[in-house]
Amino acid sequence: MKKYLLLSTILGMAAWPALADKHPVTGEELAANQAYNYWMLDAIKSLDPDLATSVEDSDAIKSLFEGLYNETSDGSLEPGVALDYTISEDLTTYTFHLRPEAKWSNGEPVVAGDFVYGWQRLVDPATASEYAWYMELMQVVNAAEITAGSKPVTDLGVKAIDDHTLEVKILAPLPYFPKMLTHSSTFPIPRATVEKFGADWTKPENIVGNGAYILKEHILGEKVVMEKSPTYWDSANTIMSPVTGLTINDENAALTRYQAGELDRTTVPAGQYPRLKAEFPDEATSTPYSCSYTYLFNMAEGKGNPALKDVNVRRALAYAIDRDIVVDNVLQGGQKPAYNWTHWAMNGFVMPTIDYAGWTQAERDAKAVELMAAAGYGPDHPLQIVLNYNTSEAHQKIALAIQQMWKQKLGVEMTPNNMEWKVHTDKLAAGDFEMARYAWCGDYNEASTFLDLFASYSGNNDPKFNNPEYDQLLKDAKTMADPNPNYTRAEEILAAEMPIIPIYHYAKVDMVKPDIKGLPTENVQQNWYAKELYRIAK
Amino acid sequence: MLSYIVKRLAIAIPTLLLLITLSFLLMHAAPGGPFTYEKKLPPEVLANLNAKYGLDQPLWRQMISYVWGIVAHFDFGPSFVYKDRSVNEIIAQGFPVTLHYGALAFVVAVASGVTLGVLAAIFHNSWLDYLAVGVSIGAQVLPNFVMAPILVLVFTLWLRWLPGGGWEGGQWQYVVMPVIALSTSYMASIARITRSSMLEVLTSNHIRTARAKGLPTAVVILRHALKPSLIPVISYLGPAFVAMITGSVVVDMYFSTGGIGKSFVDSALNRDYAVMMGVTILVGALTIIFNLLVDILYAFIDPKIRY
Repeated sequence: MKKYLLLSTILGMAAWPALADKHPVTGEELAANQAYNYWMLDAIKSLDPDLATSVEDSDAIKSLFEGLYNETSDGSLEPGVALDYTISEDLTTYTFHLRPEAKWSNGEPVVAGDFVYGWQRLVDPATASEYAWYMELMQVVNAAEITAGSKPVTDLGVKAIDDHTLEVKILAPLPYFPKMLTHSSTFPIPRATVEKFGADWTKPENIVGNGAYILKEHILGEKVVMEKSPTYWDSANTIMSPVTGLTINDENAALTRYQAGELDRTTVPAGQYPRLKAEFPDEATSTPYSCSYTYLFNMAEGKGNPALKDVNVRRALAYAIDRDIVVDNVLQGGQKPAYNWTHWAMNGFVMPTIDYAGWTQAERDAKAVELMAAAGYGPDHPLQIVLNYNTSEAHQKIALAIQQMWKQKLGVEMTPNNMEWKVHTDKLAAGDFEMARYAWCGDYNEASTFLDLFASYSGNNDPKFNNPEYDQLLKDAKTMADPNPNYTRAEEILAAEMPIIPIYHYAKVDMVKPDIKGLPTENVQQNWYAKELYRIAK
Repeated sequence: MLSYIVKRLAIAIPTLLLLITLSFLLMHAAPGGPFTYEKKLPPEVLANLNAKYGLDQPLWRQMISYVWGIVAHFDFGPSFVYKDRSVNEIIAQGFPVTLHYGALAFVVAVASGVTLGVLAAIFHNSWLDYLAVGVSIGAQVLPNFVMAPILVLVFTLWLRWLPGGGWEGGQWQYVVMPVIALSTSYMASIARITRSSMLEVLTSNHIRTARAKGLPTAVVILRHALKPSLIPVISYLGPAFVAMITGSVVVDMYFSTGGIGKSFVDSALNRDYAVMMGVTILVGALTIIFNLLVDILYAFIDPKIRY
């Protein structure tokens, strides 16, 4: 018997390389080369989950650390460090049961206290995290007060019942609370490492993470290199390694390097998608991306252009934009024309029926002319407006196309006013604009991340839209089992009052090598996890 | 000579201080700040950030503590945007990269530029002259943001000889294209300056004397004509060298070298005050030093110049 065991072990070991060549779940044959190189627009700003600010940061952090939950390729939740949770009857206390086998890269177990420390550190004024507000958005008890400095960090509504049980108290029921836990600012933090190395703790030689990868190299503006972590609880199913992010600021340079085989995934520069799709049909992809593009009107009392305070004028301007031209002729990347604010692909969102979305463009144009005349503007008395936008080729093309549409259909004289990014955001904040280009990307996969923006109490409500019914609908939606009726009504109010002109819903347009599998297909947040990726044998 | 150098160095300190003050004020006068985004930060979050980076202090106090940090600890502060790094670290990582390809590009530009210029002058109005002038004008009008994509297209995509970007610690394959892209327009300028200055020297009296003595052409050119004709070239080279070793935003962006050239533009656009100051001071100090070196070099090249 003993002999037999030994023999089978030897046989098993001999058979191992052959077995490793197949994907453990799908059974697809894997390529020998499992190195993955991806494109990053910019340098990584921080690998500290509490200090990270950009997409590049969170993409790398999702490999180096793991939160309570991960997202699957369609955007639904999948257990990470948490196995499951229970929720109290009043829906405000969540108890998470943590995976006992989860380990840090130094071999220490991941415990509930690491989450408590991470969350307290995020809201601590001394940390000065730009994402401290995220915990406030999650409605964690006392988050806002702690960030404002009026309560100590220990008052945060999070506590470790024992090493593997984490309790979170939130202010009011929030149906999408678990969905918010995939954000990198909610990840655990290794206290001992942070206290030992201070600001240097994210350096490759110091960093300790609990993710599927460990940091090998991080050269600012050049690259970040990560390798498979042997201590990760699911390392047996982690295939891709090493995973390298290359910073390439020029999208065209990145495309050339992709074509030279230096990258497995890169972005498609504006306007090149049709050509690339025709030439490389199995490499060019376009998937929905939860951002919406819009022009804001300045609705604030005594600010902006007085003519734009007339709802007829705002609606006329919105109707006269032929969005099909914008997406099909200018952007050409599979974006969708937008007649409402919330991105169409948000999880669980039922697209509202917006009246003018169903009209033909000719009908919209006719209505626009009529509304404009009713407002007292016409060829002999043309409306003059100024549109602010930040310097970018795509923004400019869209602005010029819309300028022509307004000019030809309504006789409106729009002056596009292009300015540097920081000047643009400064003027937005100060309310110093008539109309302004704006875009918003969802913080989590639920419609309220879009709609909350234009509540009168929202800090990001730059048009200063103020509608009590709208505010109430969104407040009520927070605790509704199905908030969609409220969202539909809110979108209808936006369409009727038109404080913003929705123009298009984003798509992420990429080139991906055909042998790379495991990238998200329907995850509108575009969250991807290196540990899900693999390269199949050709 | 020594007293001249000491005097120049003494002037350098107030010059740098003036540079720091002006950059500091201009930077803070620009609209927006390091933490203004389209997605606005709530006031309490912004207040914590301002407190952490000292932006809640009056401007004069920020300025004094900034200068004191440099003088007392040689500490240029933390980056406001790259939160895992200090300005010292960012410069320590990026400057060696641009110094590497910039110095090589300098050598290439000087060697090829001077050679082209001298040949064009000696064979004035011959096909060689026209060729040299043609090459240098071509190199001059082809800006590096056009040059860089062409190089990548040819050497990376078609010939597959060189990687399309990256640095990898400065391995030669990664250095070739940045050097070519950076050196061409400098080469062109050097060639033009050398040519015109050489033409002028060649008609001067001492060259006529040398020729009359029956010296071979090579000796006349190398021993008697080259040195005086290099004076205007050298005055061009001082600032050119500084510009080259502090990198080019186009080269850094297009070839993803991780060099300091890109930090200059990025920090200005991001309002990363600390990095912007650090890079400005670096470029300012280098400019002062190399202008001094150029002035000292004059004395060696032209015995008529005395300090």
